[in-house]
Amino acid sequence: MGFPPYLERALLEMLLLSVPAGLLGSWIVLRRLAFFTHAVGSAAFPGLVLASAWGIAPPVAALGTALGFGVAQERLARSGRLAGDAVTALLLIGALALGVVLASDVFGSGAEVDTLLFGSLIGLSAADVWLTAGVAAAVLGLDAALRRDWLAAGFEPGGARALGLRPATTDRLLLAAIAVCAVVALDAVGALLVAVVLIVPAATVRLVCDRLRPLRLGAVSLAAVEGLAAVWLADALNVGAGPALAVLGGSVFALVALCAAAHRRWTT
Amino acid sequence: MSQVVVRGLQGGYAPGRAALTDVSFSAAGGEVVAVLGPNGGGKTTLFRALLDELPWRRGEVGLSGRPAYVPQGDRTRLDFPLSALDAVLMGAYARTPWFRRIAARDRAAARAALERVGLAAEAGATFGALSGGQRQRVLIARALLQDAGVLLLDEPLSGVDSVSAARIIALFSALQAEGRTLLVATHDVGQAAGWDRVLCLNGRQVAFGPPATVLGTETLRQTYGAELVVLPDGTAAVGVGHHAH
Repeated sequence: MGFPPYLERALLEMLLLSVPAGLLGSWIVLRRLAFFTHAVGSAAFPGLVLASAWGIAPPVAALGTALGFGVAQERLARSGRLAGDAVTALLLIGALALGVVLASDVFGSGAEVDTLLFGSLIGLSAADVWLTAGVAAAVLGLDAALRRDWLAAGFEPGGARALGLRPATTDRLLLAAIAVCAVVALDAVGALLVAVVLIVPAATVRLVCDRLRPLRLGAVSLAAVEGLAAVWLADALNVGAGPALAVLGGSVFALVALCAAAHRRWTT
Repeated sequence: MSQVVVRGLQGGYAPGRAALTDVSFSAAGGEVVAVLGPNGGGKTTLFRALLDELPWRRGEVGLSGRPAYVPQGDRTRLDFPLSALDAVLMGAYARTPWFRRIAARDRAAARAALERVGLAAEAGATFGALSGGQRQRVLIARALLQDAGVLLLDEPLSGVDSVSAARIIALFSALQAEGRTLLVATHDVGQAAGWDRVLCLNGRQVAFGPPATVLGTETLRQTYGAELVVLPDGTAAVGVGHHAH
């Protein structure tokens, strides 16, 4: 007995998404970019509203707003007048407010807001899945090319240039890759829950892993397992995949955290 | 032959706002130069100028190849999931193409560097779980893997245990014998007295020369100002208000 086509696409989407989510998620956790990741996903919300109203391809509009967020964040943070996390918070609030105003007061698309914020696996098209496959391949290549630069720049902030590396360029590429990955995750989990797929699996594995390679392999594997389980749960319980993944991922994180704490207590 | 030649150096973090001015000195292969100065006096700024990392720099800097830099141990992230050997291997990143694994000879050299700093047995230990002195020795091993003729060491003996300090000082002698030039930022006037040259900085160059010439009370007073304490026996010591900078 096969799955219905929408469910096949959803399962494949989550399987493909686990590759960039696990790889980039490891760097997000190690490089302390979780708030940026949450913010860049949420910042795509007004872009999605515009795309829906004007008939633009959603990934194009979302990518435009996400990259615009990234550029504004870097420019404002570089000015040195505000701390980086304060800039991120201000832009995040601004993007969410703009999206709500556009959806409810300008275009009157209030009924779609839930879908934009929390995703919908029913609406996934074959093109969405192909786009995710392309991003997964691109992130695999980028990670292979730049993982040493990202490791050195994270291990000794400000010291990578002395090793003969170019951290300014490679760190921008990391932020851009996170923005692109957040955009392709929007269809499945929505603008507000991008962190669930990009951060939670890697953060969970990090609790019990103190080497880079197993962390990355573990994050990809856990993202895949949680993603597939969340799609199945969402379909069985008729709830959104984003919320299902959030509850599942949060529960697994809490369980692993409790087990890790108990293990530390027993061994010390 | 000089491996480091600096003439009329000034530089800082914004154009026209010099953090360091009028620095001119040279150091030959096999020399250890102590760089003395208060916090904010320009020691790290000098190193950043030599690494060509200052946003704004004037004057002449001549180096025999790219120098290797050893940061203060507290500049690294202790929660990173990597071993001591992983940290040392970063010294080979710049010469390893992205599509290649780190060469077997570089891996062997990294293990040899760890052995030189007395940490061969700790190669597989998590970097963040090592003591402060051991972490400093790992960072020195990383600089050794870079195989540079000039090493810039930013307060490598601050806050390290006596075993690590003894290892590091012994290593300096070995590196001298290999013809490498070492610039060592320090607050320890006693250690500086045992090295070949002393460069005193306090926003500008106060003095440069052999320790016997430079390490007088008046020069140290110009370098450290009110932070200098003259002990009853006439020797000078730097006040205790220093912290990692």
